[in-house]
Amino acid sequence: MQDLAILKPESVAQAIALHGAGEGARYLAGGTDLVPNLRRNIQKAKTLIDVSGLAELHGIGVESQSLRIGAGVTLEDLCASEAVRRQAPLLAQAASQVAGPTHRAAGTVGGNLMQDTRCYFYNQSDFWRTANEYCMKCEGDTCRVAPKSDRCYACYSGDLAPALLVLGAEVDISGPTGNRREPLAALFADDGMRHLKLAPGDLLVSVDVPSQAGWSAGYEKVRMRGAIDFPLAGIAVALKRDGGRIAALRIACTGVNSYPGLVPGLDALCGKAPDDAFFAALDKAVRKEIQPMESTLTAAGYRRRVAGGLARRLVERLFEAAGA
Amino acid sequence: MNTKPLKGVGERLPLVDGIEKVTGHAKYTADLFPPDALVGKIYRSPLPHAELIEVDVSAARQLPGVVAVITGEDCDVPYGILPIAQNEFPLARGKVRYFGEPVAAVAAIDEETADRALKLIRLHVRELPVIETIAQARAPGAALLHDNKPGNVEREVHNEFGDTTAGFTAADLIREQTYHTAEVNHAQMEPHAAFAAWDPLREQLTLHTCSMVPYYVHKRVAQCLGIDTAQVRVIKPFVGGAFGARVETLNFEIVISLLARAAKGTVRMQLTREECMLTHRGRPESDTRVKLGMARDGRITACECEVVQRGGAYAGYGIITILYAGALINGLYDLPAVKYDGYRIYSNTPPCGAMRGHGTVNTRIAFESLMTSMAIELGLDPIEVRRRNLLPCPTETLNGLRVESYGLPECLDKVEEASGWRQRRGKMPKWKGIGMACSHFVSGSAKPVHFTGEPHATIVLKLDFDGGISILSGAADVGQGSTTIVAQVVVEVLGVDWRRVRVITNDSAVTPKDNGSYSSRVTFMVGNACLDAANKLKQILVEAAARRLQVAPDQVECMGESYQVAGDPSRAIGFGDAAAEALVDTGTLHVKGTFTCPVEFQGGKHRGGAVGSTMGFSYAAQAVEVTVDPVTGRVSIDKVWAALDCGYAINPLSVEGQVQGAVFMGMGQGLSEQTRYENGKHAAANFLEYGFPTIAETPPIEVFIVESIDPNGPFGAKEASEGPLAGFPAALADAVREATGLELTDFPLTPERIAEALEARERAGRAAQRKAAKQSATEGAV
Repeated sequence: MQDLAILKPESVAQAIALHGAGEGARYLAGGTDLVPNLRRNIQKAKTLIDVSGLAELHGIGVESQSLRIGAGVTLEDLCASEAVRRQAPLLAQAASQVAGPTHRAAGTVGGNLMQDTRCYFYNQSDFWRTANEYCMKCEGDTCRVAPKSDRCYACYSGDLAPALLVLGAEVDISGPTGNRREPLAALFADDGMRHLKLAPGDLLVSVDVPSQAGWSAGYEKVRMRGAIDFPLAGIAVALKRDGGRIAALRIACTGVNSYPGLVPGLDALCGKAPDDAFFAALDKAVRKEIQPMESTLTAAGYRRRVAGGLARRLVERLFEAAGA
Repeated sequence: MNTKPLKGVGERLPLVDGIEKVTGHAKYTADLFPPDALVGKIYRSPLPHAELIEVDVSAARQLPGVVAVITGEDCDVPYGILPIAQNEFPLARGKVRYFGEPVAAVAAIDEETADRALKLIRLHVRELPVIETIAQARAPGAALLHDNKPGNVEREVHNEFGDTTAGFTAADLIREQTYHTAEVNHAQMEPHAAFAAWDPLREQLTLHTCSMVPYYVHKRVAQCLGIDTAQVRVIKPFVGGAFGARVETLNFEIVISLLARAAKGTVRMQLTREECMLTHRGRPESDTRVKLGMARDGRITACECEVVQRGGAYAGYGIITILYAGALINGLYDLPAVKYDGYRIYSNTPPCGAMRGHGTVNTRIAFESLMTSMAIELGLDPIEVRRRNLLPCPTETLNGLRVESYGLPECLDKVEEASGWRQRRGKMPKWKGIGMACSHFVSGSAKPVHFTGEPHATIVLKLDFDGGISILSGAADVGQGSTTIVAQVVVEVLGVDWRRVRVITNDSAVTPKDNGSYSSRVTFMVGNACLDAANKLKQILVEAAARRLQVAPDQVECMGESYQVAGDPSRAIGFGDAAAEALVDTGTLHVKGTFTCPVEFQGGKHRGGAVGSTMGFSYAAQAVEVTVDPVTGRVSIDKVWAALDCGYAINPLSVEGQVQGAVFMGMGQGLSEQTRYENGKHAAANFLEYGFPTIAETPPIEVFIVESIDPNGPFGAKEASEGPLAGFPAALADAVREATGLELTDFPLTPERIAEALEARERAGRAAQRKAAKQSATEGAV
């Protein structure tokens, strides 16, 4: 374990100032993602700025039909929140599938969204990585998953991001250059090493979820076991039903790319009845968007297949429920 | 003391050491590290197979804060659990044979210095071809791990009992299938830890370690340090799970002892989870080919079985494992002819060892799976087919195993009834299924690993001026509850108040030697030794009371907390007085009880015939209900019914816990657990990737205890922990077959495998449809 200084700022502004003051600073919230990585020496830090106590990052606010969720809200609190269960039950559903109860008690919304990408060649001990001559993402120069590529294919594995993406969430970010609000999708990039479009010192303050009136939404993830595991593939779906047709449809994926992404091209499916042709097109659209690589011990082919299968099942289920 | 009418045996008592564990007060080895101890760390091979040209530790030695650095040069004495197969050095010499093999070790003033020292160690090697799979190991011209083991075969076993040719000739149905079972690890909760203190003035070593076999550790450490066993003291604190992970001396236990001597002080060592999984000693990957002959009525006419085990880099328990895999084909059913061929193979992977159900599990998975397949093919009910193959009892099997109690028929009845088998089997809704299988295990190996001529178990009861009874036991409680069992036996026999009794365990300077907690021997053997000791102490107390009461001993009645003239409570003395009288002239009493398995139980006369021999087999049947997700291929276990014949439940609560634990472990192996290697390097040596089930996968497990009252077990008891494991994977596969129609032979049944099989079937179905359509079109044209 590296030697670390832990600082406890009293405001977001102070946290950002501290971040700029020294080299090797990182924000620390729940630590469920960062601390194991520090212990394995795959992420480095000299200073940890503990933002878990900052009031500005806490609380779940309700404004008319929209929700403002502090980035420091724990996943456990998110699951338990009446406002979330009422206005965006999908978030509670997704959060409840993150890791295990103790992780959810410590892990936060912001931390879950911005967790590091993962790869079988990266999330290993120092001993293992030394013996395997490292990888591009940490101390090496080759992507072991795709040795000929010039990019890293580590996989994004957060459960909240796809849910928030289909809910059309926006994020509030504070940084050394000021505050900004942007669509959640704009936070992510297709790069296993630099999957977050954040400037040094940027701090995610809150997530804003617009009204979900008329939408039905669900999240399902595939994993080896019913707890603890990261998604081998995770699918969030939000749809509006109009009689026998699907009026609007959003699908987002996790665990299958270096970023969590909305499946493009679904507009063409809107206004159609969910029949075999619809699902064939849906499966095609999902498979086109995702690019699982051999970054897990489970074969990429399996992850690709179940991602399509899950999307279909969720759409069927939500469509059915929306008609009832 | 008040006399409480609390029975010693047969009660649902919480474990006597359970309170410490659940309140967090129990001290495990790492909790006992002396604060000033040096930190010991191991430098491990970064290569799976290489010739060592030089291990350069000069820079590490010069690092300030480093007190000692040792390498293979510091110990040239090989070790291994079996005296006939010791081919491992605590630190590699000449060659490294698996990724993670210990090569050097450092003792330093703190963790950071030890880590920095490891980084300064340099290896000069000549890399050798990596033998990772059974096929690579057996390929013609394959590189040899050990020069004296051609073909990389550690041991071949070939035997035939009965006439299999005639048996297959008599069969109405003959089927043959190969089952593949992945390597699994014990994944015990407590990572390995030890600390060793070398006293340079007295030249004595005290080693605290988390072993199941402190006696074997004691012997090996002395052997490798080249010192007399009298110079060694081994203490085993609380142990957080074992399952076979610590049932032989492990390299780190010798390494830390060598380090302590080199550093002339105390060194502590705690292995990471990754290091634990590299130390391994788990269940080997196996290819098991079974051929069964069956008569139309379900009677088995012959069995042929070939087992190939990938044993890893060193011998360890390998010979025993490959013998067990064949021996315990017998002992569950009445088999008229059995042919067995076993091959234990070396590979550049961490050494395998003994794991719950030692050697028998993968064979049982294969046998039960094929037996059920054939029953289905013959239109017979799988439970009925098992009933048609029951053993007579008492009996001796073809390979010389004695069966003196046999509760399997009742286990089948219980599971059949409780699971609603007759009403539900074959009528489950889509994607749901129910399956069953049986299993058994020994209650202690009737012949110990080391033949010394000593009794197989020894217990000492110490009674002193205070009237307290100390049970001195060398039996290693590793969570299985053996300390509770010895206390229950003593309390039952003497009838004393529980507050009078303490169990002192596992300090070689204090407690009698015990062979260790392996082969489920403790309840049976140590329990019997306890019975012997307690009866002897009771006799002494009766005689003492007789002197006080001035009657003949046969007129004295033991009432537990008092001794009275038979039938006359007015003429009685308290336990304390009886004890005081017993101490007159002799002082402190040490009463010894022993137990030895008679030679007629020690197995057949053939080579390796002792393996599998026991005085009593536990028997188990279980039914498993599942739901399969057709999209993800994930199997959910909805319910398990498990019946176990443990002879007699000395502690039914503990028995239930053991059965649930065994079912859970079988579930892990059946569903998701597997070690993985890529190019000889481990790929899943952590709890995230290894994949044992979580509480989310754990179904309700309904346990039924069957008491066949074994004629030789203490109070009729047999083992209760290993037997119920092996049935699970086969019952699971049976249930998955009912749910999906898939006949799966590759374990674990991961979602990936099931989804693949489902898709392959769909593809084949579509292809067949296309072909049929094409054919009918062609026919139409004609």
